[in-house]
Amino acid sequence: MASDSSPAPFNNGPSSPDDSLSSPIGNTFSSPAADNSRRNRRRGRSTTPSAFATPPPPQSRFATSESTPTPQRSRSIPRQAAVSTPSSASEGLPSSEGGDDMDEATPTFVWGTNISVQDVKSAIHMFLKHFRDNNQSQGTEIFEEGKYMKAIHRVLEIEGEWLDVDAHDVFGYDSDLYTKMVRYPLEVLAIFDIVLMDIVSLINPLFEKHVQVRIYNLKTSTTMRSLNPSDIEKMVSLKGMIIRCSSIIPEIREAIFRCLVCGYFSDPIVVDRGRINEPTVCMKQECLARNSMTLVHNRCRFADKQIVRLQETPDEIPEGGTPHTVSLLMHDKLVDAGKPGDRVEVTGIYRAMCVRVGPTQRTVKSLFKTYIDCLHIKKTDKSRMLAEDPMEIDNGSRRMEEDVQFDEVKIHQLKELSRQPDIYDRLTKSLAPNIWELDDVKRGLLCQLFGGNALKLPSGASFRGDVNILLVGDPGTSKSQLLQYIHKLSPRGIYTSGRGSSAVGLTAYVSKDPETGETVLESGALVLSDRGICCIDEFDKMSENARSMLHEVMEQQTVSIAKAGIIASLNARTSVLACANPIGSRYNPRLSVIDNIHLPPTLLSRFDLIYLILDKADEQTDRHLAKHIVSLHFENPEIAQQDVLDIATLTAYVSYARKHIQPKLSDEAAEELTRGYVEMRRRGNFPGSTKKVITATPRQIESLIRLSEALARIRLSEWVEKHDVIEAFRLLEVAMQQSATDHSTGTIDMDLITTGVSASERMRRENLVSATRNIIMEKLQLGGPSVRLLELLDELKKQSSTSEVHLQDLRNAVATLAGEGFVVFHGDSVKRV
Amino acid sequence: MVGPPYDCLANPLGAVRLTFEKAIGSGSHPSSFDGKDWGTVDLFRHFLFDQSHLSQVPILNLATIRWIQPNTLVRFRGMIQDMLGNEFYVGAYKDGSVWRTNKYMDFSQFPIGSSPGSRVWERRLLYCVPVPGINSWAESASEVAIDGCMNWTSQQRDKRGRMDFEAMDAKDFPVSGSNFEDSPSAKRMKEDGQDYKTEAACSGTTVVSEIDKDSFPCLVKIYDSPESELKLNDVFEFVGVLTFDSEIPAEKGDHDEFCNDYCDDDLVHLPSSKVPRLHCIIHRKLAAHDFLHTSPIIEKPHWVKDVRESLLKHLTDVLGNDGVAAHYMLLHLLSRVHSRVDNVAVGKLSLNITCLSKESVSVFGTQLSLAIKNLLPFSTCIPLTVEYLSRSSLAPKKDYQTNRLIPGVLQLAEGSHLIIDETQLETGTLNSVGVDNARLLRNLIEFQKVEYDFTYYKMEMTADVQLLILSEGKSNILPADIIMPFQPSSVGSSEVVATKALEAWRWYLATVRSLPHSIESEMQKVVEDDLVAARQTDRSIGSQDFSRWLTMGRLISSSFGETSLSLEHWQMVKELERQRRERLK
Repeated sequence: MASDSSPAPFNNGPSSPDDSLSSPIGNTFSSPAADNSRRNRRRGRSTTPSAFATPPPPQSRFATSESTPTPQRSRSIPRQAAVSTPSSASEGLPSSEGGDDMDEATPTFVWGTNISVQDVKSAIHMFLKHFRDNNQSQGTEIFEEGKYMKAIHRVLEIEGEWLDVDAHDVFGYDSDLYTKMVRYPLEVLAIFDIVLMDIVSLINPLFEKHVQVRIYNLKTSTTMRSLNPSDIEKMVSLKGMIIRCSSIIPEIREAIFRCLVCGYFSDPIVVDRGRINEPTVCMKQECLARNSMTLVHNRCRFADKQIVRLQETPDEIPEGGTPHTVSLLMHDKLVDAGKPGDRVEVTGIYRAMCVRVGPTQRTVKSLFKTYIDCLHIKKTDKSRMLAEDPMEIDNGSRRMEEDVQFDEVKIHQLKELSRQPDIYDRLTKSLAPNIWELDDVKRGLLCQLFGGNALKLPSGASFRGDVNILLVGDPGTSKSQLLQYIHKLSPRGIYTSGRGSSAVGLTAYVSKDPETGETVLESGALVLSDRGICCIDEFDKMSENARSMLHEVMEQQTVSIAKAGIIASLNARTSVLACANPIGSRYNPRLSVIDNIHLPPTLLSRFDLIYLILDKADEQTDRHLAKHIVSLHFENPEIAQQDVLDIATLTAYVSYARKHIQPKLSDEAAEELTRGYVEMRRRGNFPGSTKKVITATPRQIESLIRLSEALARIRLSEWVEKHDVIEAFRLLEVAMQQSATDHSTGTIDMDLITTGVSASERMRRENLVSATRNIIMEKLQLGGPSVRLLELLDELKKQSSTSEVHLQDLRNAVATLAGEGFVVFHGDSVKRV
Repeated sequence: MVGPPYDCLANPLGAVRLTFEKAIGSGSHPSSFDGKDWGTVDLFRHFLFDQSHLSQVPILNLATIRWIQPNTLVRFRGMIQDMLGNEFYVGAYKDGSVWRTNKYMDFSQFPIGSSPGSRVWERRLLYCVPVPGINSWAESASEVAIDGCMNWTSQQRDKRGRMDFEAMDAKDFPVSGSNFEDSPSAKRMKEDGQDYKTEAACSGTTVVSEIDKDSFPCLVKIYDSPESELKLNDVFEFVGVLTFDSEIPAEKGDHDEFCNDYCDDDLVHLPSSKVPRLHCIIHRKLAAHDFLHTSPIIEKPHWVKDVRESLLKHLTDVLGNDGVAAHYMLLHLLSRVHSRVDNVAVGKLSLNITCLSKESVSVFGTQLSLAIKNLLPFSTCIPLTVEYLSRSSLAPKKDYQTNRLIPGVLQLAEGSHLIIDETQLETGTLNSVGVDNARLLRNLIEFQKVEYDFTYYKMEMTADVQLLILSEGKSNILPADIIMPFQPSSVGSSEVVATKALEAWRWYLATVRSLPHSIESEMQKVVEDDLVAARQTDRSIGSQDFSRWLTMGRLISSSFGETSLSLEHWQMVKELERQRRERLK
């Protein structure tokens, strides 16, 4: 075979990136030629090269006069092929059998594919004309045009340059066509283009632009790692992250030369296999000067080209590996479709190109450079393609936001799982299986992971669906491990430590770009974990200022910025999971939660669940801990971990539920909720108490709704049932009983959280103040000598034998009196004024 | 076959070719070799290991690159620093009617391109560097081997090499002789071969001048090996064919600048004049004892204990007669991460020696680091200052311009030792780099993980590094597992240690470290009871303390060469901890 001029794909390689737009056309012409060659081959091998030796007249998609001749010419080809249709059909079988052998490295096979141009053409024609979406209403089917005919009309209206074709549609309509398209994309796409242009010219013969086909949404998507030599010259679909874009390279399409001697302009010379053949002789008959032609740059035609580096997404990298990268070649409209850092899904043709030893040498190294000739690019994180694509938008809803694709099998598995009666317990057990006990805390965390329904009323009021949890506990009670675990599990978790976080670090800050001098907003942890969980460790050690920033985030779920000329409100729909140590590093049961954690009550009330994880001196737990750690060190499979879902399943379960399940309150549940809430409020009204203690606040009922919704989601149920509500009450009570127990009365006291002082405490203080006032009235003269505090204390103790009075309490009482202007309080001495 | 008609050392490619022809001759089609070996590896494995010729294979390093010829068998010991992805090449092609292979070669020796049905295969590119922080004794271990074979090879090479070429020619041509292309092409090939050789030899000389003196990287091309076998930061020995690309820098002119744009030649930044290529035939993972000169034979049953005693004595001397510290130091040197459960790296035992002032660190710190250098194959030292933290790049970072992973100080091989000298640290303000670096160090010490910076995201890599922190007070930046107040009673002696003893100690550390370990169920009960009792008396004892004790127990019993925890050793742990607690008060 002709060695160098053979259009074997590898030799063709270097040319095709330069010329990939016109090459499909070239290939079309050669595919019938290949058809010829195949027939020829049957007759005798020797003639094969002749098919290649006569290259088709170079034509470009861009030649203006081309649109009519092209279809004509290709129309004539099938007629040729039609003669051989029976034979080629019969021959198609053996060659498709040898499909595995049909490596692209063997040009004879590539050109001698089982593609019958006419078959493919008619198949494509049928597809474009008659494909209808399933969801298009059945009745009007006959009268309505197919999906793609409509799309073509739209393209014509907006004078677009391409038509997006969903590969799923192709597969659904004609799976054989799909297979051919994926295996021999160059040839099939070229035919596709021709058919499309036929249709276009039928609709509007004056339409000048060339419309191209862009395939997207292949049935299977490959990982970058699994690309191997057998994928060369096939259509692949890859996900990845753009890491680098080259500058835009103008690529010559047509060159015009001028004779330096006579000034004659040559006809446009089209790129042929990546080369422009400079005429050596002036074409003007009168001139015929040798080597006189020079390129006229500003009369040449150029097209945009860009080389983009795509890197594997982090989750595809195996342990102990570094990410792989692949080059993408973008043309025309695809140029600058993605920026570095974008996560994209790319459909294209995987190609290899051999490396020449030198620029002028024809000899090549045995190496190949591989790249993907890009057909379509879709930004996955935006869940739709290029902004101007109208069709993609309705498809957008099908896509998962978190890149998690659920196929039928997986969904079935998850649903199966959800039907198990003990799913709630199983999930609880599967959550951080290495942290034992703390089951109720885990249940709460589970609710946080699943989350409630966020609600936005038309009036603009919105109710958050995110559950906020605060863990307060003794050191060494694996709070941090729980946090780390949740951080790993949650879809978009951010883990920060309170000690190292500043207000701006958590929310957002404005900075000046050093290069452009523009002010830019930089997102902090909370904004970054939008729709995720923000884990804040060592919450108590956070600065006051930083903590106050959380107020807005935790209820309104936004971060508002007003500085340096930027006024913005950023979404921060994040659940907050915080953990804190009690103030004296160990929980003091005699003090209230507020005193223990030392957090402002305004912030505390924004947590749906506050768990106290107390380290009780319990031998049983200690033994459990000891056992656990021993088994950790000696790889003792002591703690059987059967019945536990692995982390992948758990994540899939959570994200499926979050995405697809939007539970609603059933009437029964709503009734129970009301009843329970009323009950909770009434409980504060205990007999014998003159003062009413508020046990529950409206915030609690919101919490309860969120929790019950989350519980319904755990069961993948669309309805919140009564038992969900009951469990939500139980969870709240378990958490509250520990955290909101008023230690002097023993009842749940929400006042303790909202104001920091319990009702009974407040009553006691008031009593003390009035007692002190009485004593001062008795003992002190107006403007008389001052009295020491200790003396007052003695007096008080004498009067009230029942209750213990501390110096500090008295000091507070006197301070209150001083505030009233009743006394003057100086150091230790009190003076009546 | 009586003996191989080729020389695996001087002409490995001849051997490759021969096996290929044999495989083809036995009726296999090259397509059946896609991603598979046809017997080359077996042949070389037999040659290197069964016939133990491995020691004769020269080790590629700065010294040997001067005289090693291209296309000969070499070995390279190094750490996988970066992975450059896969490379496609024409693996097998038809030259006339004869199948040829390009495996283990950069260039085909025969013109290809026109041949139909050529097979495209892939190989992986690994960028390897000498193990960071490798100590001179571990290097010299390899040097010895070279000296041994240097004479041998230099004698043989010329004669042998030529003979081989001829032998191969002679063997090749009868086969192709039946072809229409006869002697002319043979001549050409021969010339080509020679040209090639001289050219490569030339570039061989330039290699020396251009290679970075500090690091000696090598681009290793791996064939047909599962991805999971080779991981980043693993230390490997690669045996394979050394080649030089004959790419002359001048040749990549303007043409390439365009071409490189989308091929994004990783290799452009690694010209073969700087980075030699090694086509790996056989690779094996190296453990610490592969770096030892000799492995002493255990004469007596008490031998391990004797070595332990002498090593402990040595450490005590180095640490100014502080026996308790020496005990902890020994355990520290033996520690390694043996399993990971969730985020917990089980088995690590970082040590923080406190009560060292700036003055005393110059005495003890230097001695200690010297002693560690002599004992462990890889060790590094970081002087922790504000400036260092703010300036240095500790984490490896991906440079997307060159598509390379820029190494950081914390890209260390498994089992490396890292001393962090905190005594130099003074008050000052850290910039953002410094804060990041401090966090990295903390993550390393807590979880034995290092975050690699990939600009758009971070990737956590597991590490197994022994961390020793020298500080004045308890280090808060680097919370170590053990805080050990240092109480020397004399200035450490700097006596010269006998090489034999050193070798015994190295062997001891390398071997004992990798001992398996288990616990009897009765002993487990005792341990658990002890832990529970300890916690009942002191509530401040938490899981970290339990973990530490168990690690210590494991290490103490391994240090005696035993594989299961005994009561005696458990008591030793408790006694050591008691003594340490006394000091902490």
